[in-house]
Amino acid sequence: MADSNAPKPSSSVKLVLLGEAAVGKSSLVLRFVNNDFQENKEPTIGAAFLTQKCNLPTRTIKFEIWDTAGQERFASLAPMYYRNAQAALVVYDLTKPTSLIKAKHWVAELQRQASPGIVIALVGNKLDLTNDGAGNGGDVDAGGEDSGDARKITTEEAKTYAEEESLLFFETSAKTGYNVTEVFTAIANAIPETSLKTARGPGASHAANRTEEQRVNLNGPRDPSAKEGCAC
Amino acid sequence: MLNFSSFVQKAQQLLDPVQGLNLSESDRNPSKASLFQSQFRLPSSQHPLYEITAELTIPPANATQGDRDRDRGHQYAGKLHLSEAFLCFSTTPSSFLQSATTTTSSIFTGQTHGGGPGGNGFTFPLCSIRRVERLHSQNFQFALSLSTWNGISQDAAKEKDKKELREQRVTLQLAGNRQACERFCDGLKKGLRANVGMVAKLKKVTSECYSEYLLRPEDKKNAAPPDAGLGMLFKYPGDPKKLRDRAKMRLWAEYLRDNGRNTTLIRQPTFHKLIRVGLPNRLRGEMWELTSGSIYLRLESPTLYADTLAKFSGQESLAIDEIEKDLNRSLPEYPGFQSEEGIGRLRRVLTAYSWVNADVGYCQAMNIVVAALLIYMSEAQAFFLLSTLCDRLVPGYYSTTMYGTLLDQKVFESLVEKTMPILWEHLVKSDVQLSVVSLPWFLSLYINSMPLVFAFRVLDVFFVEGPKVLFQVGLAILRINGEELLDATDDGAFISVLKSYFARLDESAHPKSENPKLRAVTKFQELMVVAFKEFSGITHSSITELRLKNKDAVLSNIENFAKRTAIRNLGPDSKLLSNDELGALYDRFYTVLYERQQRDHIIKQEQARRNKNSRSRIAEASEGDNVEKGRVGLGPSTSLMDYDAFREFLAGMCKWAISDAPSTPQRDAFAEKDKGFYGSFRRADTVLSPWGAGPEPAEHEFLQRLFQKWDTDASSALTLQKVVSGLAGIKGKRDIMGAINYFFELHDDNGDGKVDREGILRMSEALLFLSRRGLEGTLSPSNSSVALGGENANGTQGDVQPVSERFLGSVSAFIRRCFEYADPDHPKNQDHSVREVQQKSESTLLDEPAGEELANPDAFAIGDDDDEDDDEDEDDEDDLLAMDSPTGSPKTAAKKFGNSPPTLQLNSTELTPGADVDTRRRVSKAQSEKANIALDPSNPLHITLPTFRMVVLADELLEQFFETSFPASFHIIEGLTTTPTSASSLTTFSSLGIGAGRAVNAALGTGQGTPGGGPAGGAGRGLRGVLDNIVTDGMRVAAEVRRRMEEAQKELEKNALPETQQQQRGAGAGGDDEEEDEDEDGGFDRASTRSGKGGGAAYRGDAERRSVRSSDRDLLTGADAEASDVALAGVGDGVEGGAASGAGSSSVNTAGGGGGGTGKVVGVEFDG
Repeated sequence: MADSNAPKPSSSVKLVLLGEAAVGKSSLVLRFVNNDFQENKEPTIGAAFLTQKCNLPTRTIKFEIWDTAGQERFASLAPMYYRNAQAALVVYDLTKPTSLIKAKHWVAELQRQASPGIVIALVGNKLDLTNDGAGNGGDVDAGGEDSGDARKITTEEAKTYAEEESLLFFETSAKTGYNVTEVFTAIANAIPETSLKTARGPGASHAANRTEEQRVNLNGPRDPSAKEGCAC
Repeated sequence: MLNFSSFVQKAQQLLDPVQGLNLSESDRNPSKASLFQSQFRLPSSQHPLYEITAELTIPPANATQGDRDRDRGHQYAGKLHLSEAFLCFSTTPSSFLQSATTTTSSIFTGQTHGGGPGGNGFTFPLCSIRRVERLHSQNFQFALSLSTWNGISQDAAKEKDKKELREQRVTLQLAGNRQACERFCDGLKKGLRANVGMVAKLKKVTSECYSEYLLRPEDKKNAAPPDAGLGMLFKYPGDPKKLRDRAKMRLWAEYLRDNGRNTTLIRQPTFHKLIRVGLPNRLRGEMWELTSGSIYLRLESPTLYADTLAKFSGQESLAIDEIEKDLNRSLPEYPGFQSEEGIGRLRRVLTAYSWVNADVGYCQAMNIVVAALLIYMSEAQAFFLLSTLCDRLVPGYYSTTMYGTLLDQKVFESLVEKTMPILWEHLVKSDVQLSVVSLPWFLSLYINSMPLVFAFRVLDVFFVEGPKVLFQVGLAILRINGEELLDATDDGAFISVLKSYFARLDESAHPKSENPKLRAVTKFQELMVVAFKEFSGITHSSITELRLKNKDAVLSNIENFAKRTAIRNLGPDSKLLSNDELGALYDRFYTVLYERQQRDHIIKQEQARRNKNSRSRIAEASEGDNVEKGRVGLGPSTSLMDYDAFREFLAGMCKWAISDAPSTPQRDAFAEKDKGFYGSFRRADTVLSPWGAGPEPAEHEFLQRLFQKWDTDASSALTLQKVVSGLAGIKGKRDIMGAINYFFELHDDNGDGKVDREGILRMSEALLFLSRRGLEGTLSPSNSSVALGGENANGTQGDVQPVSERFLGSVSAFIRRCFEYADPDHPKNQDHSVREVQQKSESTLLDEPAGEELANPDAFAIGDDDDEDDDEDEDDEDDLLAMDSPTGSPKTAAKKFGNSPPTLQLNSTELTPGADVDTRRRVSKAQSEKANIALDPSNPLHITLPTFRMVVLADELLEQFFETSFPASFHIIEGLTTTPTSASSLTTFSSLGIGAGRAVNAALGTGQGTPGGGPAGGAGRGLRGVLDNIVTDGMRVAAEVRRRMEEAQKELEKNALPETQQQQRGAGAGGDDEEEDEDEDGGFDRASTRSGKGGGAAYRGDAERRSVRSSDRDLLTGADAEASDVALAGVGDGVEGGAASGAGSSSVNTAGGGGGGTGKVVGVEFDG
């Protein structure tokens, strides 16, 4: 079952998504994993788990993605999910100022409570609802119907904050797919080599084969250099 | 640092030691009533009133039922229970009598194990019983024949229809002695009569049940069916053929025909079987409603749903925002929820529930559950069923902290560990967190984990048998997939195994079996069998037990998390405080709220016990059960602190915030609990005091100001955020200017940077209030006395005075200086509001409970004479003011406050006897003149922040007060560990009597005549009493000043004479001396005892005093004249005030002083 065509080293990275309710966490994951978008996605209860691999030129990163529920009261469950996470995507909604506040809270919590060295990316989602969304949208039908600019949080504001806290920063649209893959690739590149562990043994991949999820197996030697290029 | 959860725990035990660990009242030590309610799924308004052993006979079914025993029908032996509105029969032998042991009242049989309608029998609302007849029978037995309204609609009650009807009739043979039977029958009669009025309601409620339509008489075949959910419009999920829906419907129709429908249904063994095979679509909603008991809630208040919607129509809330976000994503695959119709229903039910249960509001997953319910039932039915879910079936699942969800995950984990140790070990080894998978199962009742048709089958059983079903099914899932799960080594693999299992539930469990029957068994059927056979040992009580066991750990986890999060999100102000301080503040804040709610709850229960008649419906169901309401882990029902809670909060960490009332239990809640004394307090104790075991908080205007200041958005409630910001303003700045500014702003009512005359007095009152239990922090004792020493060469003050005592002097000086340096207002600016405010506050003062001892009027000489007009120039005046002037013989250690409103003649001093009354009078007159200038409301003045700052900095002690003492008086972390001082040890101006003993009292009583005795006596008896007096007196003075201002105003209005004012402006130089003399005379007192000590601090800047001028001009003659009257009046007030506040012995002194009759001495005491 081991992929013989993957001489590159591979490692799994646990990634958790946090953010206010209905900012598009699940949609980002769905776009990344299945390159799909659903208008009315059921709210995540507790958390959802998905995997997706990301091929860098020199290695393969398999993301184990924990997509959490956004409602405030589910916050107390979050530690269960971000436990041992090496990366986190903190998502806010570009059109909703409160969601950035909540995002900041999450960043603060992660910085204090999560594993040290966790890579955090701040992601402003729903770019398709803003003016710059339509133009930049990589995918087809970007929010053409919304001619108005619903943006409430400027790029500068969020970016400044992200720089202060040393976070990766992106503005995305799960709907159009704009910038989504880039977020994950950037995270993959930012994960320090040292914190990578090799993927789990054959047992894991055996089980994984039952699912449609892509899994790569590898125990090859590690290549220290990491470059761009996530093929998903 | 204090540990919040241990507080809570202890607080619980304090309230009721037996309940220490209860999840709710009905758990560890459940009341008979709650057992009764939960067995029959009755509303919390129902209590077991009577019970009797009986035999139920159900007559032979219809002729069509050939296979039944025609002769005897069915007979069941069991117990008959009567509550306020229900008659219940069950073959379960449990007894709910008061005399019954807990064991007998929790004996359960059948699948439900007490978690639901167990055994065979019925639960009849009394209003569903149409007639009860006593049958003649042999053997002296009591036999009742019961007929119900089953199938009899109101218009069908006519004679001709009756024939067609098969009246439902059962017979009950009561077993018991005649008395017992008769008692029961009497109760039943009463109950029936009381419930007659409910019949119409019942008909309305049942008319919404599909069974009425299903069994409708022939002539109504065309009637429109009642709402049986969205499924009627959008089809029910699943293939009806595959589900064998028609066959099920026929079976149910037959069962209902024979055994009664909806409220009159009788449970026989077939009932449970029919449920296990899955309910037919159109009856599903009704049976859920019936088995869960939510129909009884609907019966209690049939219009609650519609009323709630109407009542809150158009209002907004956070919950509504959250609901809106999820409406479009609730079971989106079901066509009904892609339509406005379905979404509208979902919106209304969720919204209505968020209003009736604001504590829960809306939680994600409720949308999914309610959406599922709405497929099978009407909005109103879903509304009440949701309420039953949240309160009874899955309590705490959807609360703000979701403690129920987390708790049940722990319970589930321990069950897995117990029943599947190998799998458990594997999970631990692979570091897979079980709850990551299982949490959504429980939270959404499997609805979005399994295909809908199967999830509904689980729900069918869940509503009858209770929450244990969720555990049984969960365990069965793991058991069935055990092998594959053992291969999975990470979360992802683990999840995949289960995901694919759920997707194949409809497949054969044994596809390769030779046996076609076995091959036909689906995975879902297998699951149900495993769940209910293999895990039949999982019962309601075993779940309850495990919940209790895990509860504390879960709650404290949540609390720690909540605390951590809350503290982290407190905003920038919180950075000014240390983490420990924030933690302690958090604990204190919520402990106070929690304890107050507990007390409130108990008090309410008491009241409810008293007037049993008033019972509300749904709301009470939740409240009644949750004794821990308010605990953070359970989702605090409030996070807002009102003013009273604020006082209690401060009393936990500030000495000055504790009331001086003698009745106060002098215990500190925290210290006490830490010492473990709580065990000795009973519920009764706590109830007695509205403040619980803690000290009674003081009430003072300063507290109100502080509250208002902290309450930045004027919502009359403090959040933790506001408290932290407020305290950060005081404690966080750590610089004196910050503290001074803060204090100033606190008294700057309109934020214009000015504090008027009234405000100055308030400031001084506040200072006295804050210092009356002594000062804290680093104070350098030597400085002021050195300064004093310099001024008072005579050496009476050689000793270092106690700081608190000196502080009184400082306050006095403060007032004086404030007035000296005050800027005049522009007349036009003057505002009448000043006076209003002052009146208001005065009345408040009188109402205050705080007063300690009555004021001793002698403490202050408010001079009033109308006969003298000494002309003085400013210098004279200055001299006058200079109380500490060298002229002051040793005798004159008096503190005087020059033209301060004067009147603050704290006659601190002198022991020298021999008072010359005349002199005194003269002096005091002069004083009062000056005083009046300051007091003259027509001559408004104010101080600005710079002035205030200067005045404060001019006094070392005040400076220290702001620098360290005030901030240090908030013992955030350690709390008050020592017993707060009792009233008698307060630093006040009040009578010496307490501390100094009789001799002094006598001296005082006689007035100035024999002051000589005072000092010695006072000194001898201890400084304490003296100190007590000092502060109180100071306060008294301030109050008197206020009074005089009013008087002055009156007088002014009467006859304002400008010239007189001029004359009076300058008091005679001689007056100064006299004044001093007076002090000596007045010498009396305790003042003398404290004598020089206090005096000195006040008198540092002569120069300052000299600057007083223009504002002094407008002395009012009239006011002077008035003054003596005022003085007397003041005495009166003092007495009243003292009496009102329950002050002790000092009242005698006050009276005595007044009587002492110079008439000049006034004491009005205000808040201690």
